[in-house]
Amino acid sequence: MKNFFDLTMPSDGRNEAFARSVVASFAIVCSPTVEEINDLKTAVSEAVTNAIVHAYPNEVGLVKLHCEADDASREVTVVVEDYGKGIENLDEALEPFFTTSRDDERSGMGFTIIQTFTDSMCVTSKVSEGTTVTMKKVFRSC
Amino acid sequence: MELEFKIVGSDILVKLKGDIDEFGVRAIRADIDRLIEKYNLKSMTLDMQKVTFVDSTGLGFLLGRYNKLRAKRAELLLKNVPPQADKVFRTSGIYSFVPIVE
Repeated sequence: MKNFFDLTMPSDGRNEAFARSVVASFAIVCSPTVEEINDLKTAVSEAVTNAIVHAYPNEVGLVKLHCEADDASREVTVVVEDYGKGIENLDEALEPFFTTSRDDERSGMGFTIIQTFTDSMCVTSKVSEGTTVTMKKVFRSC
Repeated sequence: MELEFKIVGSDILVKLKGDIDEFGVRAIRADIDRLIEKYNLKSMTLDMQKVTFVDSTGLGFLLGRYNKLRAKRAELLLKNVPPQADKVFRTSGIYSFVPIVE
């Protein structure tokens, strides 16, 4: 059966750990392995970090987290949405190692990690309106 | 995040504890950089045994320290990398700059 939750939080660094932990707890019904749940936690952390660091660089804004878990198909969907500054060039942003803030010690690997650690990722963004990252992960291990 | 350090020969061994994410690195970046400045040693080894999580912010943090050390002709090394962190590191290819030691 499909279950879901929605939550809204401020773009505060402390909420990265909260967001990935709450998704991990929620996804437990889909019986992931430790490695699979860590992959999901890492991917969620990347999307939430992007919202905190890039969407709202000089202000605190809202980050919305939507999560669905289906224990029959063992599929988890996570949507991270912000209403911040948006991404100007999405193709560039999706390239490994691309970053708009190299001086700030950014690795530019966030989206690449989400892509590598989940089954699918979709990013939509509009300048001055915000960004939505949708990821899906199916737990396959027995 | 928390850290402990000790000098072992020409290496400074730093034991890290906690999550290396955006919130975590803010707490330790300045302390680590102070250690790099204060002790002019040949290498810094980060012991990650008690690290509970790493994301790409952690990668940026390591690359930043790598660059600082390289400017002083010193190396950055990693030790006891947990599986979750290892997967993030392997995805990024960081081991070619920052190798693992026993």
